[in-house]
Amino acid sequence: MKQIVSIIIMSAFIWTGCENKATSPGVTDTEILVGNIQDLSGPIKELGLLLPAGTNMYLDYINAQGGVHGRQIKMIVEDHGYNPQKAVVAAKKLVEKDQVFCLFNVVGTSPAEAIRPILEESGVPLIAPATNSSSMSDMSKQAARYIFHTDAGYDLQARVLIDYIMENNKDAVIGFAYQDDDYGANALQGCAVAEANHGITVQKESFQRGATDFMGQTMNFMKGGCTDVIIGGIVREPVTIMKTAQKIGFEPKFYGLMPTVDPRVGLLAGEVGEGFIAPYHAYHPDSDEAGPKLYQELCDKNNVPAKMRGIYHYYGFAGAHVLVEGLRRAGKNPTRERLIKGLETLKNWESGVFPPITYNRNDHAGAESLYLLQLQEGKQVGITDWRN
Amino acid sequence: MKGRYEDENLNWIPLLILAVFLLPFVLKGVTFSYKYYLYILNMAGIYIILTVGLDLLSGFTGLMSLGHAAFLAIGAYTSAILVDQVGLPFELSLIITPVIVGLFGLVIGFPALRIKGIYLGLTTMGFGFIVKRLIIAFREWTGGSAGLHVSSASIFGYPIKNDWDNYFMIYTFAILAIIMTRRIIKSKLGRAFMAIRDSEQAAQASGINLAKYKLISFFISGMFAGFAGVLFAHTSHFISTDHFDITLSIFFIVMVLIGGIGSIYGAVLGTLFVVLMENMFIPLFEDALSQYVNLNAGDFQAFIFGLIMLIFIIFQPLGLYGMWLKMRIYWKIFPFNPRKRFT
Repeated sequence: MKQIVSIIIMSAFIWTGCENKATSPGVTDTEILVGNIQDLSGPIKELGLLLPAGTNMYLDYINAQGGVHGRQIKMIVEDHGYNPQKAVVAAKKLVEKDQVFCLFNVVGTSPAEAIRPILEESGVPLIAPATNSSSMSDMSKQAARYIFHTDAGYDLQARVLIDYIMENNKDAVIGFAYQDDDYGANALQGCAVAEANHGITVQKESFQRGATDFMGQTMNFMKGGCTDVIIGGIVREPVTIMKTAQKIGFEPKFYGLMPTVDPRVGLLAGEVGEGFIAPYHAYHPDSDEAGPKLYQELCDKNNVPAKMRGIYHYYGFAGAHVLVEGLRRAGKNPTRERLIKGLETLKNWESGVFPPITYNRNDHAGAESLYLLQLQEGKQVGITDWRN
Repeated sequence: MKGRYEDENLNWIPLLILAVFLLPFVLKGVTFSYKYYLYILNMAGIYIILTVGLDLLSGFTGLMSLGHAAFLAIGAYTSAILVDQVGLPFELSLIITPVIVGLFGLVIGFPALRIKGIYLGLTTMGFGFIVKRLIIAFREWTGGSAGLHVSSASIFGYPIKNDWDNYFMIYTFAILAIIMTRRIIKSKLGRAFMAIRDSEQAAQASGINLAKYKLISFFISGMFAGFAGVLFAHTSHFISTDHFDITLSIFFIVMVLIGGIGSIYGAVLGTLFVVLMENMFIPLFEDALSQYVNLNAGDFQAFIFGLIMLIFIIFQPLGLYGMWLKMRIYWKIFPFNPRKRFT
């Protein structure tokens, strides 16, 4: 009898011991493995090098300090070439073969949407998907529980811009050039809300992804008498529209959504870009906040070439803060479930790079405020406080 | 009368089919990441259904198509809409969707009556762009370029939930597709196709109605692509216009070419070769190499594919299947090989 009791007690101890040590795949005593899926061969492959480089710079910094709970963070980068099908293959490889603990920074809306079923099936969290689309933080969608979005959505960006324009000029006639895809559709949602709030009608002109000629749209804005034009493009679109407008003698104020924050807009547009305003959801890498300061320090220390520094390199660096904080909060014996629970305890958390971030069971939206940057003499200068 | 397959040795086929269905169990026993390998094999299986259909069109009828990704897209979207929005059962969609896509094939087949070669390739490519725009335009049903989430399949009440179930469903249909295409090429229809490929004038002189058979070829090829599309939608659960771009169409042609154009088994081999190469061997090779050289993953892959294509076109125009045939004949008549024939 004694033997049986002792065996039961022993096995109970062993069992509870196992329970405490039970960690997820991708976690060893010395290492945590994180998966990242980038576009290394597709239409935005220049970002595919910059984002992980920025992330790795921050992770190296954390690892040099001893890592998170004594574990070094290691990141594996896969390529999807902006093809959702390849994104699924890459995610399967990372989750099933490489056995990563979590995914981080999957770039692009359709690739990130495509891997939802995998997140749902395997319970792997995806932290900071690299897309502005607010569909990422839509809690009614599949696997929403596993996705922690950091960026402010295109809808919020459009709304903040329109609010700003209306504040400064009550009689403004606003034009909005949007890309005829998910990016544009998301921005239009915010546009509709702002229209209702201000009782105005925004003149909307669409263009196709990859378009190079914007004469028709610009002429229409001119005919409509627009005083302010918002451009929902990336780099080529705002530059071309502003130059086209200059050619035909049309001089409204120009604004862009967040992807146009790219410093190349200022470089390529030259003098017509002067005064161009775009929203941004993190402290600017050149500003004096704690995060950007660390960024500049690390860039100098690691001899990051000047052409690599900037918004996108910084974007990878900024997102990694949320990842590291999540891993910290997942505790000494992290599981995927604990990572989710840990992130959901963030309340007005100051990262130094983003405005205060709050996550909870019903809100995975991350940064929900923006401020506006204006091109002044070729430099981006903050002109407002945080807005939402 | 001589049987249809009398000159072939078919004994190995049941064994092969058995092996195909035993493979998942072996994989599960061997590796913990079997789900990843199953997923890749599933993709290859879906593409096999499409490429055997493409081989009927390009390899046997001699009509080039750079629009097969678009057929795949139409199949995927049609089935997603029929099942998830109209509420048809999946089994019915498996029958209706291929017919609808086949009809699209007919439409694109009409220009093929007048144009040939590279011009037909360009026309079908244009068709691909049109389809992409249409999918975005009908955003009420297709979700526009934001993409569409698709439900899982279920066959006669049995839900097909994961990669394991998908594998058996996809490969059952893939084997059926191979058998069907083999039947077609051995029939009157197949002979007519080949006659058109070899010489349109000669075919016409022998009483073959060119217009009719070319259209039939497009219809059948579209049907196979549509069938693949149905499986694609309900096994990958998310479809968007980014899935079906022109490079995918080119990949399909590459698969058929590497496998050996004009041989059904070749299309199968080529598809397996390309999909496994792309997703397993090149990354492995890349990982090994990247320890010594600093590589940019994406460029490297394109480089290897280009190289393989060049090597095949220069040294093995008959593709993998041609290679296999040569080897088989070599051993069959060993040691009496005429020296020049096999160099």
